[in-house]
Amino acid sequence: MTLVSRFGTLLGLGVIVAVFSVLSPHGFAQGSNLINITQQMSLLAIVALGAAFVMSLSEFDLSIGAVVSMAGIVSVTLFGSGWGILATVIITLGAGFAVGCISGFFVAIWRVPSFIMTLAMGTIVGGMTFWVSGGATLFSNIPVGFRDIGRGYVGGIPVLTLWAVAGTLFVAFILDWTELGRRILAIGGNREAARLAGVGVVPATVWAFGLCTLMAALAGLLLTARLGSAHPTGGNGFLLQAYAAAYLGMTAFRDGQPNAAGTLLGAAIIAVVANGLTILGVPNYLQDIFTGLIIIASVMVRNFGRAAD
Amino acid sequence: MRTLTTLLAAGIFQFAASAHAEDIAVLTPYLSSVATNEMIETFKTESAAKGWTVNVVDTRGDFQQLASRVEDVANAGVKAIVLVSVDPNQIGDQVAAAADKGIPVIVLDGALAKGVAINITTDNFALGSLLSDYLFKAMGDKGNIVKFFHSAHPGVRQRELALDKALGEHPGIKVIAEHYVQVPGPIDNARQAMETFVRQYGDEINGVWAAWDEPAIGALLAIQSDKPDSKALIAGIDGNPQAIDLIKQCSNLVATVRQDFPGIARTAVKEIAAVIEGKKPEKSEIFVSANVIDRASLGVSCN
Repeated sequence: MTLVSRFGTLLGLGVIVAVFSVLSPHGFAQGSNLINITQQMSLLAIVALGAAFVMSLSEFDLSIGAVVSMAGIVSVTLFGSGWGILATVIITLGAGFAVGCISGFFVAIWRVPSFIMTLAMGTIVGGMTFWVSGGATLFSNIPVGFRDIGRGYVGGIPVLTLWAVAGTLFVAFILDWTELGRRILAIGGNREAARLAGVGVVPATVWAFGLCTLMAALAGLLLTARLGSAHPTGGNGFLLQAYAAAYLGMTAFRDGQPNAAGTLLGAAIIAVVANGLTILGVPNYLQDIFTGLIIIASVMVRNFGRAAD
Repeated sequence: MRTLTTLLAAGIFQFAASAHAEDIAVLTPYLSSVATNEMIETFKTESAAKGWTVNVVDTRGDFQQLASRVEDVANAGVKAIVLVSVDPNQIGDQVAAAADKGIPVIVLDGALAKGVAINITTDNFALGSLLSDYLFKAMGDKGNIVKFFHSAHPGVRQRELALDKALGEHPGIKVIAEHYVQVPGPIDNARQAMETFVRQYGDEINGVWAAWDEPAIGALLAIQSDKPDSKALIAGIDGNPQAIDLIKQCSNLVATVRQDFPGIARTAVKEIAAVIEGKKPEKSEIFVSANVIDRASLGVSCN
């Protein structure tokens, strides 16, 4: 794998940052803004890192946006019912994990296509979220202690940034250093070959889907803490962006394989572009076009690198 | 590809070069809504006359994006931040942080929150009461209605609460069916729901209460398609131009409560100009009036 295909995406991020810094030295290039970008990208990164688990299986989970929304609504509802922070966090994360496990179970046992299964699960979860919330944004009874997990700074670094770093290390650890990670990657490479080699396809698949939605639920909790409110569709915007970030991540560091560092890089590119173009006052439609072009360009750079090999 | 990229880059450079000290950032999650769009277009026109540069950001229903973009424009040091059709409490920290930086935050058709300099709106509860009273009177104070609502929007929620109050005062009116309208895409979403209700209840439906005009239009399309002989009366809120046109056509859509959205936007420009000049707003909340637009007010005879 050539340097271009391996580090082209990272180089691309460097070029984008350099261009925005030249165009807006007093807005974009401020240290405080760059730190702020790390905060803004963190929730997307966490959702995308979760998506990397199922993408490593060569599957998709379309319920992640709905799980992000669900986590927010469930947590605020539990707070409203008098539950404490720790219990609420555990129950919410457990609910998120369970959603993925159910999807993974059906995908693994009954071979239901993941697109269909997770689309159905996302729809069910979305419906339940609306049912619980009554369709309204929930504000009340969110403890200050809970809000602190998604705002504020530790040593000048936003708390959310630290969560994203922790999430990256967690996903990197699972995928690169554990038996589960190796099984997930083996199934993604060739499910039948993995099965014949004695890999437990069903438990690994269930774990991968469960970890994916666990990360989405974590993002939902952090989103609620950041905003101080929970919106019944607040997580929907993450779905496509998370896969865009994960795909961008697949173009970096390892050829065509989801990886934690690359996914973080993908989220950073999306966040930098959104931040820089907003500061420059570029209209929304141009931002969308530009983001799409960057994704295409990243894949092309990777392909050029492959051709050069 | 290369040409497109070059053009985009040129566009970005142009925006970067044209940015100047009197930048006003306008942010909303609902730009595709006709009412929100009307406010923003009027705001842009009035701002251009003042020589301001206006940057409009639409996050398409995504509040995490909205929070991030508010942080961005605050970091960019804009002269003012205008939030349209948003309850600023949903992004309370970001609004407060912008205010702490000395950037005035003005809300159009939203609510008050910590850090908000002024909220310019119509009293949404009063709008809901006006709509309910009109519809119930037109129905002769008896019959069944279908309710289209969207509780996530704080203003629309107030209208819903006004309906609940009005229902308590008019025991002859019953809600036979209700539907939470999905946004974006409210017209088609309401149309699909109404098609189901029409098949289910038919002539039992005497009225349609729509929390804003787009679901009212969707309900009308369903009736025109599936039950054109229906006598159900439909009414909404906003004074959407399409709704007004449909009222003129003597359709089942009989009324809309017109909020003065251009008036809200013009008031905002006036208030921002004063704030930029260093004056303190006289009031933190300014209510702009509303009125019912129906066949009579449009001078249309449908006999």
